[in-house]
Amino acid sequence: MSTSHFSPTHLSAVRSSRALSARGMRNMRRLPSTFIPTLAMPIFQAIAFSGTFFAITKLPGFPTDRSINWYLPLAVIMGSAFAGVGLGFTTIRDIETGFFDRLRMSPTPRSALILGPLIMTWVRTVIVVTMVVIVGFGFGARLTGGVIGLLCLYVASIGLATVSAGWGLGIAYRFRDMRGAAIMQLTLFVVMFLSSAQTPLYVMTGWLHSVARVNPATNVLRLSRQGFLGEVTWNGVWGGLLALVGGSILTLTFAYRGLRGLERD
Amino acid sequence: MTAAAPAVALRQTAAMSKRSILALVRQPALVVPSIVFPLFFAALGTSSFGRATGLPGFPKVDSFLDFSLAGTIVQGVLFGSVQSGSALATDIENGFFYRLLASPTSRLGILVGRLMGAAAYGAAQTAFFTVLLIPFGLHVKGGVAGAVVMLVSGGLTAIAIAGFMAAMALRTGSSEAVQGIFPLVFIALFFSSAFFPRQTMSGAYRHIANANPISYLIEGLRDLCITGFTASACAKALLVPIGIMVISFSLALRSLAKRVAAQ
Repeated sequence: MSTSHFSPTHLSAVRSSRALSARGMRNMRRLPSTFIPTLAMPIFQAIAFSGTFFAITKLPGFPTDRSINWYLPLAVIMGSAFAGVGLGFTTIRDIETGFFDRLRMSPTPRSALILGPLIMTWVRTVIVVTMVVIVGFGFGARLTGGVIGLLCLYVASIGLATVSAGWGLGIAYRFRDMRGAAIMQLTLFVVMFLSSAQTPLYVMTGWLHSVARVNPATNVLRLSRQGFLGEVTWNGVWGGLLALVGGSILTLTFAYRGLRGLERD
Repeated sequence: MTAAAPAVALRQTAAMSKRSILALVRQPALVVPSIVFPLFFAALGTSSFGRATGLPGFPKVDSFLDFSLAGTIVQGVLFGSVQSGSALATDIENGFFYRLLASPTSRLGILVGRLMGAAAYGAAQTAFFTVLLIPFGLHVKGGVAGAVVMLVSGGLTAIAIAGFMAAMALRTGSSEAVQGIFPLVFIALFFSSAFFPRQTMSGAYRHIANANPISYLIEGLRDLCITGFTASACAKALLVPIGIMVISFSLALRSLAKRVAAQ
């Protein structure tokens, strides 16, 4: 398709998005301290959880006999979610240093202010997923669902990174200082853990079972674990996809409205 | 030194302890995470792993809540103790520490006062977690005597960990550096029997948990809750934190001496 089909506004949006995502990549290289925890945390979580809760795989009916197969996707998903909210932190820093005001004064299309950093977040997420999966294989994880199973993990991770990036941006545009950072992290942490994060639904008892059953994060985790707990089935996939598409629409709208609010103030 | 000197030093230490406790009372935002997160994990664990208590290697317990109390206490105390070190570093950053040095205050009192504040908070956390979880079905088999030992152990553990944090604070003078140790504390907790028994672990992970003194501290506290008031449980719950405390306090004293000498 020739670029002549695009209006100058579209071209400008694409160019600006590309420039903003490239800026994010440069920051990742120049400020590794902002990226390394995003990578180290899921690796630690995969190892620590699978070591600590090794014995739960012995429960009758547990879907795998390898604890790393259960906890590796959780760690990857948590890492992706935090890679997403990391965008919120970066945006708060840009607001505090005044860089964001300069961006707003420039003729950059507003959609590019969200899309550019979002593309960078996807790249970060792919790096995190790849690294954690490689380490996980080193610690004994086995892919039972083949390449499609691995693809499910990537889709779940990128999708959740999008949801959490939208959430992080929305909070950043509204709070505009580091108070927002705690809210971004805490909400994500609670939502993720009130799901089938630690054990399958059938193992849970009491209130957690009731909450996890309706928590969309359970569907996302089910999608991410498809490649590690047997064959990939449509039943295990569609709920996660729906949760990710719905969540992305909601949180990106939340972010866009926050940006509009920031423009008005 | 006059005969009144020890009494004066004691009064100064008490004043410093009071100050560090008041700081926590006046800024509840500093202590909320060290109360809320352990309780959240206790609630989560009880619902998630309730059925795991029948697994081979799991100690005989009435409920996972009874099993998890010790982990909850140690988790809360570890998180709270990081705050204590961070507060000392903030004193250095904002110059209050140097104003104390310029006054005729006992040098030891500055450190001990801070650690005593941490101990009081650690014991208070232990009491709070225990009392709060009783209506949810917690049963302390060690009875009142066991609960008292747990309280003392909570205080001693707080001193032991706050000692490391104080050493770091005195060495670096940076609250950011003290907060930077937090992941190490978290790792030390995870690679122990805080959340699951060592007997159910395998491989290298089990070896690390076996070598980790926090495992034995937790098991001492846990035995007081799930087995009863026994000499072995009391010894583990009290001697392990005392052992760690000796090391961390020595490190903190050395760091204090270096900072005072550099002044």
